[in-house]
Amino acid sequence: MMEKIERISLKKVSKKFKIGFKKNRSFLARIISLFSGRESKKDIVCLKDISLNAYSGEMIGVIGSNGSGKSTLLRVISGIYKQDSGTVKTNGKIISLINLNIGMQDRLSMKDNIYLCGSLFGLGRKTIAERLPSIIKFAELEEYLETKLYQFSSGMIQRLAFSIAMHCNPEILLLDEVFEVGDESFRKKSQEKIKNILDSGATIIFVTHDLENVKYNCNRSILINDGEMIASGNSEEVITKYLKLIGVLK
Amino acid sequence: MRLKSFLGLSLSLAKAEFKLKNEGSYFGIIWYILGPILTFLLLLGIFSDRLGNNIAYYPLYLLLGIVMFNLFQNTTTEATKAISIHRGIIKSIKFPLEALIGSITLKAIFSHIFEILIFFIILKSFGLPLVGILFYPLILGVFCIFIFGVSLIFSALNVYFVDLENIWVFASRVLWFATPIFYEIGNQTKLFLINLFNPLYFFIEISRSILIYNKIPDTWVILGSLGYTLISIIIGFLVFNRLKHKFAEMV
Repeated sequence: MMEKIERISLKKVSKKFKIGFKKNRSFLARIISLFSGRESKKDIVCLKDISLNAYSGEMIGVIGSNGSGKSTLLRVISGIYKQDSGTVKTNGKIISLINLNIGMQDRLSMKDNIYLCGSLFGLGRKTIAERLPSIIKFAELEEYLETKLYQFSSGMIQRLAFSIAMHCNPEILLLDEVFEVGDESFRKKSQEKIKNILDSGATIIFVTHDLENVKYNCNRSILINDGEMIASGNSEEVITKYLKLIGVLK
Repeated sequence: MRLKSFLGLSLSLAKAEFKLKNEGSYFGIIWYILGPILTFLLLLGIFSDRLGNNIAYYPLYLLLGIVMFNLFQNTTTEATKAISIHRGIIKSIKFPLEALIGSITLKAIFSHIFEILIFFIILKSFGLPLVGILFYPLILGVFCIFIFGVSLIFSALNVYFVDLENIWVFASRVLWFATPIFYEIGNQTKLFLINLFNPLYFFIEISRSILIYNKIPDTWVILGSLGYTLISIIIGFLVFNRLKHKFAEMV
């Protein structure tokens, strides 16, 4: 058994955003705003005092309603957003798959896209060239190396994105709603890949609405509601709590 | 090592952007050089008998000024919009954002090389010594560091102050006329004093002395260009580093 490494440690992390909203304004202010594009802003709290520790080999499910702060949490862990208070510590190479947007360009060929995304994930060109055959094999797209992405189906693009991310040696993998990738056989293959990555010492944080998947795959889960972590622990119990919260279960 | 991976990523991004821009185009690279060449021919036609009368090798003088200014203007203008154009990826992946600006600079250098090749061909046709060409990579290198610094500043500020994009369109046009590109400063003291605050004057002056007139530029001009470069890159990194943490939530 490998020694457990603490991959992620969040301590009382909070994050606020300024959002636009409509307020009652004077006539003059309205005239001015006709010319200027500025809008009034107010603060909303997206994450409130979240604390979380994740260790190597763990896959943690994050569940919660839309707008509860799940994606924000992933962005704070990955360093895309900076927390307003609290500390975020990570140990290992972070690969984030947030809404499958990994910088792919429709008008570029698949090969160019693999190079582009691979470099954004921090791989050198030589490493990408070495892994290219394996990336397209895993995505089952061997025949389309020079085909431009706009001619791909969305399933093919998703498989490609997933495959690129998996080949970038993630040690902390942040997945946002990406498990609904591909057909049944591809799903099975990705599950296996995920398992391999976990066994090699990575940590996965997995945001989804697919509760069955969480129950089946995640060692433990957290429930976020309005930016607060209101439950954490055994996946099944957290899911039950969530279903009660949204009124599906009494 | 960090510099190596930064350059690698910049290069990858630049390659992708370059391919995207030329995708499906029949004339490809010609479009890059067409703009400056047309400006050159137009101004040459208008001014060669008037403003350019007293300037030795006026076509070379003019072309070098145009292509160098062009490099500066293209890079800074594109950099100003860079962060909001790449918002999708900035919100999804954590990567060194400076590389976005690096890629824009590299892309501009690439098309600049084609423009400067045309300059070299004309230089040769005038029968002038070509030894100055050896120094050009050095001048271009320093000039690009200066441009990269300015681009960092503009790209970061534009996230907070989107009007900058429009202001720069006007301001860079004013700068075009303020810089001695199609005229020379000569004895006009006021114009000379104004241009002391114009970094582009220094870089263009150095290149013209070395490439066209085979003279070593005055020491104060060289020091001036190095000084501006240092200031630009230091302020560039300071401003960009201070503001970049908020980019993902501002765009």
